[in-house]
Amino acid sequence: MKQSTFNNKYLPYVLLVPTFFILVVFLFYPAVETFRLSLFKIHPWTGAEKFAGLYNFIKIFTNGDYLKSFILSAYFAIVVIIAGLFFSLLIAILLNQKIKGMRFYRTFLIWPYALSPAIAGALFNFLFNPANGVLCYFTGFRTWLTDEKTAIIVVIIAAVWKNLGYNIIFYLTALRNVPASALESASIDGAGPVKRFIYITVAFLSPTTFFLFVMNTIYAYFASFGLIDVLTQGGPAGSTRVLIYHLYKDFFVHSKIGYAAAESLVLFSLVVGVTVLQFRTAGKKVHYQ
Amino acid sequence: MKKSKIIVIAVLMTIILPFAVFAAGSADVDVDESATVSIEFWHAMSGARVDLIQGIVDKFMAENPNVEVDVQYTGSYNDTLNKVKSAYKAGNAPDIFHSYEIGTLGLINSGIISPLDVIAKKYDREIPWDDFFTPVQSYYKYQGDHYSMPFNSSTPLIFYNKSFFEKAGLDVNNPPKTYEDIRAAAVKLQAAGYKTPVTWNLHSWYFEQMICLQDEPFVNDKNGRSGELPTEVVFNGKAGQNVLDWWVGMEKDGLFLDVGPGWSNHRAAFGAGEVAIVMSSSSDVNTLTAALAEKGWEMGTGYIPRPEGAKGGVAIGGGSLWMTNNHSAEEELAALKLITFISEDESQIAWHKGTGYFPVRKTAMDQLKTEGWFNENPNYLTAFNQLLDSPETLNTSGGLLGIFPEARELIQSAIQEMYAGKPVKQALDEAAVKANASIAEWNEVIQ
Repeated sequence: MKQSTFNNKYLPYVLLVPTFFILVVFLFYPAVETFRLSLFKIHPWTGAEKFAGLYNFIKIFTNGDYLKSFILSAYFAIVVIIAGLFFSLLIAILLNQKIKGMRFYRTFLIWPYALSPAIAGALFNFLFNPANGVLCYFTGFRTWLTDEKTAIIVVIIAAVWKNLGYNIIFYLTALRNVPASALESASIDGAGPVKRFIYITVAFLSPTTFFLFVMNTIYAYFASFGLIDVLTQGGPAGSTRVLIYHLYKDFFVHSKIGYAAAESLVLFSLVVGVTVLQFRTAGKKVHYQ
Repeated sequence: MKKSKIIVIAVLMTIILPFAVFAAGSADVDVDESATVSIEFWHAMSGARVDLIQGIVDKFMAENPNVEVDVQYTGSYNDTLNKVKSAYKAGNAPDIFHSYEIGTLGLINSGIISPLDVIAKKYDREIPWDDFFTPVQSYYKYQGDHYSMPFNSSTPLIFYNKSFFEKAGLDVNNPPKTYEDIRAAAVKLQAAGYKTPVTWNLHSWYFEQMICLQDEPFVNDKNGRSGELPTEVVFNGKAGQNVLDWWVGMEKDGLFLDVGPGWSNHRAAFGAGEVAIVMSSSSDVNTLTAALAEKGWEMGTGYIPRPEGAKGGVAIGGGSLWMTNNHSAEEELAALKLITFISEDESQIAWHKGTGYFPVRKTAMDQLKTEGWFNENPNYLTAFNQLLDSPETLNTSGGLLGIFPEARELIQSAIQEMYAGKPVKQALDEAAVKANASIAEWNEVIQ
């Protein structure tokens, strides 16, 4: 088949203009601006700027609350990623069976993903809020959201639950693509179901798992905001104040624009760093067909 | 750069304008009062209050057909302030916006507003401040000038379930007045089977008010009103400790239910009969009366509690209306007229009846009394009396602090630490240290 060619040298650039326009206005310019602002002290109202060098970075990294939030976020991300991937793979396997009414179950198990974080938060609030939460009533335990030890657990459960649908869709598709021939030949070679799962299925799933690993990292660091805002507002006593929530407070409530810019750069570098690390290490073990 | 130009103009305007006014005497500003003009008004009142405000503004427009007002609900106080900030930087700030009371010192120093009294003088429009309740107008007065127009005003109140009081053998017409009274009532209620009889939401506002009740300041430099920017908080003194020793002590003893932050949980617990005593905003009178009536219970209200013998009073809470600078004379005058209109009796009475916030003027109050409104709604009177019983001091005018929103966060976090076992004094001192560090930074940036 003959491929059509365009001789106009500039045409590709013209076609790229709309995309670049959007990228520049909504991505590159804000990113550069954030970088610049992180080096200034900024008047909260007029925006008047005073160069401050690394002042903002030094301040946030000598702030005990911020460091606490840093560790909390890492812990939160690790638990959310591991629990999220584990449960979604488990459910995806169950959903991959041939039983009656499968479509029905599938739809309902993917449903949580269609909810906005604020609505998901409201649902969990309905279950756990100390005044009239349904589960507080049934468990006789009131302080789910007002005790430092349990509040973070509720937030983690909510965050995992909220993202299950997304992970399940990807795992389900990946499971469908595991070639039956590979599984059959393994069983002819005498591999039992467990061995088949570990050596064949998991290997075929590795690109998906890797992809979800990266996406869930981003989710845990950035998208947890809505849930936390509705459920705990970062409390009790900062025990659920992850980095993104800290950043929100510093910018939108405390009007510390310089700090907020520095914090968002930290968050940005953190997620980029973790992703690069994943590509360098786990990425090499991923088996692509 | 364009932005720096705007800032320079803004600074020049704020410096020159007042002089221009004083130099010119009055009313010499060349302004065409009948010119068609459109102004923007951003507020932070949600729900049914959106329509209520629109209704007041519609009346204003009917009386002033040359003025077109675009009213917008712009989210919470915080959202509204953030939108005003961005709009100001982009050069299209609303003429009038709504802020919470704790934003006052920040706004005074923001460089983006025109003080209300200065604008009123500029156009020779007198605002009859004598007709405003003293605690209401003194909050928004700084160094002799009123900076904004008091709008939605409230104080905290104690709400109690009379039916439960009766069952516990308490005097239904004599609400608890002191810390000890509340505790004693709670113990009796608990004995009568109400497991955790007292609650209120985790909010620093109550803490601040209960410091006012002891006639103590919240920050230094005359509670932030000396003209100098305050440099230190003093909420960790004896008065603050008194409040929290009692409050957290009740939580420790299982008399107080911790319902966390936000404004819905404590209302829900009270409405469901989970608790018998709550503290909440006086603007909740409507909601809570209705919630209890639904279950066949009767509700009473009382002053917020104080330690035995404390001589202070409450400070006004709520919000006020501000004018931004850099508008044409026609717009400024129209905005001034609208702000004044909203503060007048007719608007205030409609606002009070629809929301439960105080009317800000004495004449409006008198009119409500003559109407017999308080005979039908005695609980509204409690809030008024509590406010009018308050002596006028720098402390009961309310503390002013640039980083007030952050101070609130710190206090709320400290209270949660106390619930978890940290000693009151230690947690308060730590919060004060953090607040002072932020104050130092804020004072440096703002100047």
